[in-house]
Amino acid sequence: MTESSSHEFLEHTGEVKLRVCGGSLTDVFAEAGRALGTLQLQGRKHGPAKAWWEIHIEARDQGALFVDWLNELIFRAEAELAVAVDFDVVQVSGTSLAARVGAVPVEESPGLVKAATFHELRIEQVTDGFEAEVVLDV
Amino acid sequence: MTESAAVAMAMKRGPYLYEIPASAREDMRVAARVYADDDLWSQISQDRSLEQLVNVATLPGVTDAVYAMPDVHLGYGFPVGGVAATRAEDGIISPGGVGYDINCGVRLLASDLAADEIRPSLEDAVHDLSRTIPAGVGRSGGGGPVDKGGRLGLTTAELDRVLQEGCRYLAERNIALAEDLAVIEAEGSLAAADPAAVSQRAKQRGLNQLGTIGSGNHFVEVQVVERVFDEAAAEALGLSTGQVTILIHTGSRGLGHQVCTDYVRRMDEVMARYEIVLPDRELACAPFRSREGQQYFGAMCAAANFAFSNRQVVTYRARAVFARKFGDAGRLRMVYDVAHNMAKREEYGGEEVLVHRKGATRAFGPGNPETPECYRAVGQPVFIPGSMGTASYVLVGADAAADLSFGSTCHGAGRAMSRRAAKRAQTGQEVRRDLEAQDIVVRCGRARCVVVGPASWPRRRQSPTRTWTAWWTWCTKPGSRGRLRG
Repeated sequence: MTESSSHEFLEHTGEVKLRVCGGSLTDVFAEAGRALGTLQLQGRKHGPAKAWWEIHIEARDQGALFVDWLNELIFRAEAELAVAVDFDVVQVSGTSLAARVGAVPVEESPGLVKAATFHELRIEQVTDGFEAEVVLDV
Repeated sequence: MTESAAVAMAMKRGPYLYEIPASAREDMRVAARVYADDDLWSQISQDRSLEQLVNVATLPGVTDAVYAMPDVHLGYGFPVGGVAATRAEDGIISPGGVGYDINCGVRLLASDLAADEIRPSLEDAVHDLSRTIPAGVGRSGGGGPVDKGGRLGLTTAELDRVLQEGCRYLAERNIALAEDLAVIEAEGSLAAADPAAVSQRAKQRGLNQLGTIGSGNHFVEVQVVERVFDEAAAEALGLSTGQVTILIHTGSRGLGHQVCTDYVRRMDEVMARYEIVLPDRELACAPFRSREGQQYFGAMCAAANFAFSNRQVVTYRARAVFARKFGDAGRLRMVYDVAHNMAKREEYGGEEVLVHRKGATRAFGPGNPETPECYRAVGQPVFIPGSMGTASYVLVGADAAADLSFGSTCHGAGRAMSRRAAKRAQTGQEVRRDLEAQDIVVRCGRARCVVVGPASWPRRRQSPTRTWTAWWTWCTKPGSRGRLRG
């Protein structure tokens, strides 16, 4: 995590809207993963990662890549009963991503977040890096 | 013209009806109609719910008008409480118009017990329900018999039978009773289901989740019928004042979520090929008659069968608990099971359409052939859960709804505050204390999740009641007495 990375959850009546900032695209993707993990753990403390996943994703554009990235983490959390907490996003281009992700086991399926959506999806370059917004179905 | 300018062109068409004309924005194909009183209209005019509804009115093949039910609130793509019908012949199907929790729905069970008969052991019964009906899949546990909370182990072949046959397969396994099937929408088994169109990922996500209620606003609630508004309808549904009931709210769990994820992505990729341009990417769609449209419909129906089956296994577990606690008197008869996230093939004015209901309940009147035989005299049952600590309502559909909303009504109490705002307003412990002060027993996997629906949320329960009376008949008002949340 770089010092410039941050996330916040914005007001949304029905769902959860996430805003992520980072110095680079890889920072933004990693920070989005961390934010998702905090939702899935619902504030519970966790120890060091026990499982490591090598993740490669290809998508038709950067927005779809961002949504696919979060949906990959949501799928793995339910399928493997582990929440991703440690992120080394190696590379993000316009349409592909490579990352090494560390996860902590959880006792119960962290099903709070159903999916990442395309609704009001935004990834853009800003003065001091990149910023993204995504609505999560909860 | 901007979207908010389109909303500004809305006209009041009646005491509880607003209309945004099709001319309000260049890309609208039909008008957008909203069933709301002035208070509700004022609230939803302050967020993007109406703009989302206007976006839905741009879908190719959309017909008549798009509708917002009286519990409408901000969603993604469609607003929650949105209804849109597209022509089956040349219109589209949109996974986002159904939502990620395919066939999320509500089921009501009725006992022969009176409230005062269960009161002494209510806490014990709710505790047993919480142990027997898991919120989710656990790393440990899952062993033991299904009627004591054990996992319903399914092979992949058996999961395919659940997806293909729904509750009919569970009847073979004695998890559903023969009489249950007659009172489930489509008898709990959609014939168009295509398990082959469901990805391995979706199947992996759902394999061990049958019989779990999930998280968010899903629940199992022990209730008592507090007041009857329509004696004839209540009698037809077998409900009377003082009677103990159980209301179940859950859906297709991770399997349905993954089906929607898979097909939103797929349709996002193919829309350009069909020359479909939309104002919101989450409305991603394909022609219903296209290969992608048919595959999604088959997968959606399979996920819907999984959801009917999920509620059935929860029912099986609830029946086991009531039998243990109350013997023969604890028998639970199913009143009805109805979906509120679904796309259904229906006929209106001689034309076949695909009615997308996202957070909206089908509400067919007595004259509709899909209304179960036993309810033909009064109309199809509809269940409107309240928020925690407030009453739920049982309604019956009226034939007039076919012309007013493609036979649809609202699905819940609505939502006027975000989850974050609710958590700021009241902690989980405060919510629990408030509910217990009302003599309500609460069991929840984690205290924090109670925050999802505290009794003091400013939900829009009273306003819609005035609106609904236009075409739905009141039947009963079961008050909350014990609640188990996911």
